[in-house]
Amino acid sequence: MPRDEIPPGTLYLLILKTLARFGEMHGYEIANSIQRISDDVLQVEEGSLYPALQRMLIKGWVTAKWSTTAGNRRARYYQLTTVGRKQLLVEMSQFERVIGAITRVIRAV
Amino acid sequence: MNWLRELARRLRMLMHRRQFDADLEEEMLLHLEMRQHEHLQSGMEADDARSAARRRFGNVTALKEISHMAWGWEWFEHLAQDVRYSLRMLRKNPGFTAVCVLTLALGIGVNTAIFSVVYAVVLKPLPYPDSQHLYTIFQQRTQDASVQAGFSYLDLQDVIAQDTAFSGMTGVSAHELTLTGHGDPFIVRVADVTPELFSVFEQQPLVGRVFRHEDGKPGAAHVVILNESVWRSVFSADPNIIGASINLDKRAFTVVGVMPSRFSFPLLSGTREVWVPVGQDPLFESWMNLRARHWLLTTGRLKPGVSLAEAQAELDVIGQRLAKQFPAENAGWEIHLFPLQRLIVGDVRSPLLVLLGAVALVLVIACANLANLLLTRATSRTREIAVRTALGAGRGRIVRQLLSETAVLGVLGGAAGILLAYWGVNALGSLVPKSVPQLNPIRVDHVVLLFALAISALAIFLFGLAPAFLAAKSDPQASLREGGTRSGESAGGRRARAIFAGAEIALAMVLLVAAGLLIRSFSKLTAVSPGFDTAHIVKANVSLPRDLYKTPQQWLAFTDDLLARVQAEPGMQDSALVVPTPLADTGARVPFEIVDQPPATAAESRTGDYVAATPNYLRVMGIPLIAGRFFTADDVMSAPRVTVISAAMARVYFPNQNPIGKRISFSFPPDPGVSREIVGIVADVRDSALGEDPKPMMYVPFAQAPFWGSDLVVNSTLSTASVAAAIRKDAMAIDKDLPVGDIAKMTDVLATNVAQPKFRTELLVLFAAMALVLAATGIFGVISYSVSRRTREIGIRIALGASRNTISHMVLRETLLLALAGLAVGVPCTFAASRLLGHMLFGVSANDPITLIAVAFTLIAVAVIAGFVPLRRAMRVDPMVALRYE
Repeated sequence: MPRDEIPPGTLYLLILKTLARFGEMHGYEIANSIQRISDDVLQVEEGSLYPALQRMLIKGWVTAKWSTTAGNRRARYYQLTTVGRKQLLVEMSQFERVIGAITRVIRAV
Repeated sequence: MNWLRELARRLRMLMHRRQFDADLEEEMLLHLEMRQHEHLQSGMEADDARSAARRRFGNVTALKEISHMAWGWEWFEHLAQDVRYSLRMLRKNPGFTAVCVLTLALGIGVNTAIFSVVYAVVLKPLPYPDSQHLYTIFQQRTQDASVQAGFSYLDLQDVIAQDTAFSGMTGVSAHELTLTGHGDPFIVRVADVTPELFSVFEQQPLVGRVFRHEDGKPGAAHVVILNESVWRSVFSADPNIIGASINLDKRAFTVVGVMPSRFSFPLLSGTREVWVPVGQDPLFESWMNLRARHWLLTTGRLKPGVSLAEAQAELDVIGQRLAKQFPAENAGWEIHLFPLQRLIVGDVRSPLLVLLGAVALVLVIACANLANLLLTRATSRTREIAVRTALGAGRGRIVRQLLSETAVLGVLGGAAGILLAYWGVNALGSLVPKSVPQLNPIRVDHVVLLFALAISALAIFLFGLAPAFLAAKSDPQASLREGGTRSGESAGGRRARAIFAGAEIALAMVLLVAAGLLIRSFSKLTAVSPGFDTAHIVKANVSLPRDLYKTPQQWLAFTDDLLARVQAEPGMQDSALVVPTPLADTGARVPFEIVDQPPATAAESRTGDYVAATPNYLRVMGIPLIAGRFFTADDVMSAPRVTVISAAMARVYFPNQNPIGKRISFSFPPDPGVSREIVGIVADVRDSALGEDPKPMMYVPFAQAPFWGSDLVVNSTLSTASVAAAIRKDAMAIDKDLPVGDIAKMTDVLATNVAQPKFRTELLVLFAAMALVLAATGIFGVISYSVSRRTREIGIRIALGASRNTISHMVLRETLLLALAGLAVGVPCTFAASRLLGHMLFGVSANDPITLIAVAFTLIAVAVIAGFVPLRRAMRVDPMVALRYE
């Protein structure tokens, strides 16, 4: 089954949304969850998740802390902050505006 | 606030960089393992599962780097890396590092030290609140602007009453009084002030109060303010001093306050130990009503917002009014004002700036030297740089690396320089002559430190940029192709090095000529005869308290007694009394009239320097008599009044006449307008300064013009200490309360007189010597590098039959060319620079050819000596070794 790349710039939105829905997650879980929810259509170029998470840490959208997984492995768990929640709203409205514009363009004759 | 939190997060990351990288790695590893595990579960082979997980993840190393760089610290990490690398390189070349750091430290150290003096003396505002509003106000002859004087007390009161531009004015004068009643009697230096002094300077007392307006009124109770130092030393910091009574010249004064010792008034020489209201001083009491006497040095505080021009305009009007109202005293005088600070630093400003310029040149030479050293090094590293370029290092990265090396050198040199400056400032502080006004302490404060940092940065920029630039421009391919360890230097580099060395010679020439001129000038100055003997002559001041010795007869009786006793001491060749003593005291320049000639106009009055002396004076001082006679024991009060004039006075005021038998009259001190017959002419004496031409002088017999204070001059082969002890003993034998002060050898008086030129000459010689050494090192560097670069060429020449002589000529020619090129540039620079010295020179022209030629030969000689070591190496080149070398 062919997989589509995530449109550039939307990776933040996806991570924010995922964290908003599921709360604390580590990188592998975030990647998997994005893939699962998009019915395997959207595929995160998995490694690029990590630089994105670093940038989000700098911005203060997420915090990270080390904890153990169900399988008793050490993993870094990311969690949304209040700033991150606000950013999610910003990103969503921005995304909808862009998508709306694109939709109008391609529906026009 | 968000950016602050973000910065905090970034900084936290910077602190825990290692942990950060480890965390990231662990996180990514976990991800890969989990993905791999998932693939295994779905039935893949282990190897396939792993590579599939990796494929899906992307380039782990690149992603780690991107994540790391996201935090924005790569510049810092590069810098840290560069610095670490630079330190390693410098440690590996301790000789090179030591030379560079030392050169730079010297350059920055002397600059900082001299700047600290310039800053404290010239640039820093005077240590009074809002000192930029303080002006000195004085009277000036309309016809001759060089005649400037203070105000009489009455005139000052009129000016204060009429003026609106100043918030306050104060007049001061200085005096010495004898303090008795506390241990041994001793002379205190008194500032006689109008009460407003403290409000004009906005000063608060340490204890008690300052003077009030009422203290200045006639008949007010006698009050005194002590300087903290006197309070501590004489009164052991007595907390109950306020209200206590002290005796000054046996007159009781009540202590009302103590001033902190940091407060000193700039226009009076030395620190003043007590302040008294001007009208309460036993001497000045009688001057208060004399409008003709211009004696109060006046300072005013300009109101904020009043311009200099407005103040001057108002003073013009007041001056005209005074001249109209009191023509006898004020006709022909104007009132002027001048910033107090400029007045105080007047004389020393330009010598200090010249010194600062000199050390700046030293620094530039040091930088040129360093640039040369670094160029040499950069050249020997061409290959290393070429390899690094070939391996992909960007040009910017390489320049940054080289710059960071010079920066590290610069920081080390700058730090060492600042340490050196701390030490140098202490040394300088004790060298600075007393006559340089030091209201602000000379020290390394934050402004001086800032200056040191700024010049360090400038120096790094100056010497670091060129080599880095040249190195980055070099062609890596060419360097690699040349291959051998002797890889050549680009023509640009060679030219740059020659230019640097030439510039060093040129700048060194400027400094050497300046130093040479000052040396010649100073030796001429000290060779000048003051007109009197100084060897074996000791002077001592005796000052009689006027309350006890009221009449001139009493003064005379005392001095006769004292002279007789001193004369009777064994070992005293001769002794005399004189007031004022030439060079030691401020002269008394007084106007006089020639009897039977029309009076001089106010514009061009006749003046002569007044001296009262006893008959032995000429003999003690060895001043030749030219015509007529000097005073005898018969020239007493009851005898006809006589005077003896100096050769200069005869020349100026009695041209083509015989002055002997003519009469002059002057009103100083006790007998106004009495005419005196000129009975003799004596040789000229330089009485005001060694560097100034002798002024017209007139002598009167001490017995006809006694004074309460005078100097005893004694010609004796005994030591100063035993002469001083003898004088003290004799004075105490007459009056046990009498202090003898200011005992000094005349040779020391002379030395004090030339302390300032000596100071600047010594410093400039020191700087010129530094410049010479640096320039010599520069020449040595260029020539020896050139020789080592041409070892092979020289080898071939020798192999082809060139004689050692030819080789030595070749090297010598290169050295001489370098030196001559430097001189060619140096001569015009020298002419331009030495003009700045003009007014500091005595008896030497700024373009003195002898100095110029001597310096040129010195420089050539030094260049040849500096080139000698490489020259010998060139002559010893073994052709076989040289040819095999590459």
